[in-house]
Amino acid sequence: MSDIGDRDLTTYRDVQLSPDFSELRRRFRRFVFPMTALFLVWYFVYVLLADYAHGFMSHKVGGNITVALLFGLGQFVSTFAITMIYVRWADRRIDPDAEKLRHQIEGEPQ
Amino acid sequence: MSPALSLTAIGLVVLATIGIGLFGLRISRTTSDFYVASRAVSPRWNASAISGEYLSAASFLGVAGLVLVNGADMLWFSVGYTVGYLMLLVLVAAPLRRSGAYTLPDFAETRFESPVVRRICAGLVVGIGTLYLLPQLHGAGLAVQTVTGAPPQVGAMIVAVIVVINVAAGGMRSITFVQAFQYWLKLTALATPIFVILLVWHQPVGVLDSLHGAAAEWAEPLSRAGGRDHPLYATYSLLLALCFGTMGLPHVLVRFYTNPDGRAARRTTVVVLALLGLFYLFPPMYAVLGRMFAPDLVGAGGDTVVLELPGRVFPGTTGDLLGALVAAGAFAAFLSTSSGLTVAIAGVIDQDLLRSRLHRWTGGDYVAVNSFRIAALIAMIVPYLAFTVTGALSLADTVGLAFALAASTFCPLLVLGIWWRRMSTTGAAAGLVVGGIAASAAALVNVSGAPQGGWPRALVGQPAAWTMPLAFLTVIVVSKLTPDRIPAGTARSMVRLHTPEAVDVDRGLPSR
Repeated sequence: MSDIGDRDLTTYRDVQLSPDFSELRRRFRRFVFPMTALFLVWYFVYVLLADYAHGFMSHKVGGNITVALLFGLGQFVSTFAITMIYVRWADRRIDPDAEKLRHQIEGEPQ
Repeated sequence: MSPALSLTAIGLVVLATIGIGLFGLRISRTTSDFYVASRAVSPRWNASAISGEYLSAASFLGVAGLVLVNGADMLWFSVGYTVGYLMLLVLVAAPLRRSGAYTLPDFAETRFESPVVRRICAGLVVGIGTLYLLPQLHGAGLAVQTVTGAPPQVGAMIVAVIVVINVAAGGMRSITFVQAFQYWLKLTALATPIFVILLVWHQPVGVLDSLHGAAAEWAEPLSRAGGRDHPLYATYSLLLALCFGTMGLPHVLVRFYTNPDGRAARRTTVVVLALLGLFYLFPPMYAVLGRMFAPDLVGAGGDTVVLELPGRVFPGTTGDLLGALVAAGAFAAFLSTSSGLTVAIAGVIDQDLLRSRLHRWTGGDYVAVNSFRIAALIAMIVPYLAFTVTGALSLADTVGLAFALAASTFCPLLVLGIWWRRMSTTGAAAGLVVGGIAASAAALVNVSGAPQGGWPRALVGQPAAWTMPLAFLTVIVVSKLTPDRIPAGTARSMVRLHTPEAVDVDRGLPSR
């Protein structure tokens, strides 16, 4: 790392300042941070519901299957769904732009 | 329960672990190391391996025990363990891969250009690893005790010795195979008794019926069944620890490098979540069935319910066979997690604490491999000593403390280090120290005898809800106060962390 000259440093700064790079970073943050917040809220609200909405949560949907039980299983299902959404999004929205940026930096568009 | 049958099953698991380890050692001789070897592994195998390593004594025995004793609240353990992976995936996995750092101390050093921060991280890896190994040893002791009546030291010693031999021989380093095999063994061992019980019964609905009878309070969430105060705080704190702690577990992170690229890493995570979700369906069933067939275990802490249930439901050969299967699965859990942890801890001890000293003491007259072997021994001796002096805390609770410590130290370091360019080196060090001291103090109090009840017990038992924000706040405040200590190479680090890894930027690593 010690032999990095000024030229390389300039490249790093150029990349950092380039609109494509900040766009890539911004897009990533705009999707990932709200999504993370959203699914945390969903888990936390579930706990609250379990505490304060006993009537609702113990409502029987059929037989002994309560709303709480369905919601509980829903936690696993939603975790899985969120992951699938993220993976699809990253495949479609991040990878192609990352490729583009790569070609720009390496200076050999294909 | 038949001791002979169970011991045979445990013996077979041990032999298989060593055998596959040695086999893996033979075929991996040519490939220079673990990471390279694993890059040829498909996401599906890799996911099995990750899940195999992740599902420890806490998942195999502990969750069922906690649910049995404390009721439905404890189901959050299984949800939290799973969500932790999601957080790791979306927040840190990709940037960390790009940083080129293999371990947390590596990341700390390249990002903050500070040997001090690196050394603090090394200490924390050892601390978290020890806290995580402790319940594995307790679990092993408990399992052997339940099966044969031998004192707990026997089971713990068996696991400790086998893991050290395996890790020191290098067997565990090279094989994703052993871990993958152990996931499927664990799942089979846990699922088979449940299916047999449900088949014999013909009416699984009866289980739910019985829940709403005698044990109605137990099935209600946040009901304080089992005498835990402030259930809402405790549940939130636990969720935070599990969600944000996974990314700071030393043996988990390294596994993300075993994928060939970021795309495969994402695929792997999807499979991991499916495998973990599948596995976690079963511990609650043990708890429910345990309430019916073994209510006496509630008083004893419940950690043995998975081991004892088959024998309670089926006295005779069926019960013996199923019991032996479950014991084998439990040992697979202790061995796989302990091995992964020991490799991770020994690597850090070797690199950061031992090698330079050894070099000084022996005047350079040592072989590097021996340093790793001594490190592996130390990595196991410390938790073993801790095991001999600590009482039997619930398995899943102890693991929860390891998660809390990780969430209060490495989580701020990683999340802020990756996303916040004004984070200073001093801020990083201060956050690690403050979060580390707060969370480990809580852990120490817990392990050596927690306060009896009320808020003190809740705050100490589930510290993450206050230690994690404290650590984040410390990093932010100290970084704002010391803007001149922002690492000079931050711009370079940020480009490195956020540029897709296919781009050939210098990642500050020797070529590999």
